Amino acid sequence: MEWRRAQEVRDRVVPEEVTALLQLALFPGFLFLIVLAFFIEWFDRKLVAKFQNRYGPLHVGPKGILQPFADFVKLLSKEDITPEFADRTPFLLMPLLMFALAVTPLFSVPIADHSALVSFEGDLIVVMFLMTLTALLLLVGAWVSTNRFSTIGGIRTGLQLFGYEIPQNLVMVGPAIATGSLSVSRIVQQQTGGIWFVLTQPLGFVVFAICLLAHLQRVPFDIPEAETEIVGGWLVEFGGRKLALIRLAKDLELVLAGSLMTSLYLGGTGGLDSLSALVYLLKLLACVFILSNLRALFARYRIDQLLVGAWKYLIPLALLQIGLVEVFPW
Amino acid sequence: MAMEGELLQNLTKKPVTMRFPYERAKPFERMRGKVTWEIDKCIGCNLCERICPSAAIEIVGKGRSAEIRYHVGRCLFCGECVDVCPTKAIETTKEFELAFTKPESMTIEFRRTKSASSDPEKQR
Amino acid sequence: MSTITIPFGPQHPALEEPINFIFEVEEEKVVNVTPRLGYIHRGIEKLAENRTYLQNVYLAERICGICSFAHAACYSQAVEGLLGTEVPEKARFIRTIIGEMERVQNHYLWLGLTAKEMGFETLFMYAWRDREKMLEILELISGKRVNYGVNTIGGVRCDISSEMLEEIKDKLHQLEERAEYYKSVCTKDQTVLKRTVDVGILAPRDALELCAVGPTLRASGVARDVRSDYPYAAYGEVPLRVVTYKGCDVFSRILVRIDEILVSTGIVEYALENLPSGPIRVRVPRAVPEGEAVSLVEAPRGEDLHYLKSDGSEKPVRLKVRAPTLANLLPLCKMLVDVNIADIPVVIAGIDPCIACAERVMMIDAESRKRKMWSGEELRRYAIEWYQKR
Repeated sequence: MEWRRAQEVRDRVVPEEVTALLQLALFPGFLFLIVLAFFIEWFDRKLVAKFQNRYGPLHVGPKGILQPFADFVKLLSKEDITPEFADRTPFLLMPLLMFALAVTPLFSVPIADHSALVSFEGDLIVVMFLMTLTALLLLVGAWVSTNRFSTIGGIRTGLQLFGYEIPQNLVMVGPAIATGSLSVSRIVQQQTGGIWFVLTQPLGFVVFAICLLAHLQRVPFDIPEAETEIVGGWLVEFGGRKLALIRLAKDLELVLAGSLMTSLYLGGTGGLDSLSALVYLLKLLACVFILSNLRALFARYRIDQLLVGAWKYLIPLALLQIGLVEVFPW
Repeated sequence: MAMEGELLQNLTKKPVTMRFPYERAKPFERMRGKVTWEIDKCIGCNLCERICPSAAIEIVGKGRSAEIRYHVGRCLFCGECVDVCPTKAIETTKEFELAFTKPESMTIEFRRTKSASSDPEKQR
Repeated sequence: MSTITIPFGPQHPALEEPINFIFEVEEEKVVNVTPRLGYIHRGIEKLAENRTYLQNVYLAERICGICSFAHAACYSQAVEGLLGTEVPEKARFIRTIIGEMERVQNHYLWLGLTAKEMGFETLFMYAWRDREKMLEILELISGKRVNYGVNTIGGVRCDISSEMLEEIKDKLHQLEERAEYYKSVCTKDQTVLKRTVDVGILAPRDALELCAVGPTLRASGVARDVRSDYPYAAYGEVPLRVVTYKGCDVFSRILVRIDEILVSTGIVEYALENLPSGPIRVRVPRAVPEGEAVSLVEAPRGEDLHYLKSDGSEKPVRLKVRAPTLANLLPLCKMLVDVNIADIPVVIAGIDPCIACAERVMMIDAESRKRKMWSGEELRRYAIEWYQKR
């Protein structure tokens, strides 16, 4: 394999630390992830526009592909206001922390190879923890904004966390039980030789997709930032550079959600050996297609309906899935 | 899930929106845009000035030497002046893209031709 | 438990026109609501006193952008009542046709807006895409998409020629199909049902006591419609069905309005088939004899009332407009108590608010905080004294 030999040559010539640093910064590190986040946002916007019979982004770049980047640059140049009564330090730190929490789990997902940049036994638990931490960070950010609407948005974020987190973590553990390992890279490698978990645990896949919609705060579960009800919810006071970082973090979370769906259920980068990044990209686009389709299809639920639905339907189904995995351990 | 069928169908259809200004809709036959005067037919009867609901027409002078000052910014494009003119000097055009950058451009003057060389319609 | 106060408006993504509601909320449930109007008062009633009767037709059209034809028709009918003129039969039919077309495009617009308040963006885009077909028909007949300028005192100004009939019927048929499709979507889609069933309840007794009008009233089971109670234009001669539902919630209001779209397209098709021949307007004198007139019209949002007082000159003495949304505001405040915060935009959108129609003046004494009622004479004397003091 050409690719393997090229890697061996590279390992002999360049010291390992420099390789790791370059990988972290460029591919599949920061730069690649940020570019991928912009691309996925464009794909999502174009897809939803197509569903709604309109054009979507059109003029910036060929077919509007540079539109998310243009939005980012525009927001960086806008006025940055901190409300008078807000708690300054948490308010200023929150977008940075949100960006950090969105990028870090992506290092544990295999993107260019069969194992991720940072993979160890138990990194699935770390990913779950970081995802929960994001929701708590939103709650803190909403609280320190000291605005009525953001307070309500923050409370709704917390309530929503009660609803979707348990089923989400349960179905993430399903493939881990079937693999016998708590490392995302090991789960991907298990599927490369065998069959994809979406075929053996379809119930888990469906529940996972629904819980991810609630985690990403997209319709039908975009309750904490319902624009028509509470004018932007928890992010109403953030503007300018902070809003640019928050939007980038949300795009990265969408990439993370799609990546987890592909890695845990659709076989990740497995398939063709030298084109693993391309395989990953195609599967990621398929998962984003599913998420965008669900976004265009439904109206928005109310918070009490979400909680009742989660505890009445999602959690029993997730428990059922785990039970089935225990009984039939393929 | 009720609209899923239509959503998937729309993936293959052309968008309904138009890429203005590269594509424009065709105006309909009865569409009323800006009005224009044929100043030689005007007899200065002042009927259009009196009937205009928003005082967009100003007559300067009297009788056969009257000249028109037309404030496009106030015009409702209702077409009452077109109906009421006894000599049919007023006509509706289909011009509706009427945004100007200077307030003075919103007033169009229709002056009488003293000789054949000067332009009857002057826009400041 | 303590309550927090949330201001809703005057600038808010859920509102098209500025109105302020002050909600007192206890943990996602509304306890009390206070409305405040006055942000878009334009002084139309005063402007009407300085223009002739014919010029006022265009002023009345611009009271509201969406129900503009209803206001112009109501005003024209009031003047024709004072003059005692008989409008020709063809003009009455054309007024009916265009009035019903306006109802169809209003209800499509409303469907999109309510879907947007619920977060259902796709239905919003689809409904407004289909509304374009009705706007094209209206532009074909009258030359304008809004503020048509069709009404005039003594009849109408545009005729419907027989070449247009084919295109109009084709588009009407498409609109009927789409309305049936939206009805099936709204009755089957789980998210829509969960957001609208049992939300914004208005009991029939409250609706009658608080003087609700229009589809808001008909969704509570009360069959009141100006077109059948006091027929005007050609409504005595076309098949009309008053649509009522007994649900008293936002879901019933959706069903009432979609059914009204279907009834309206039926009326338009019947009227186009049986369009009589003849003149479309009669000449009327410029000066109107002394008198008072009240005219009622079923605007798309409900019952619209114009009161006109004349004194024999060319300009009216007093024009008073009572738009349907003004009548629906008190029932709205009653509906909004004890709902979740998340339901507030859905309930407000459910009555089809058009705040621009509804602006009137309220006088409150600042010290004693008591409201005062003014008669026409007191208002005039107060205005004259205020100007003299300046």
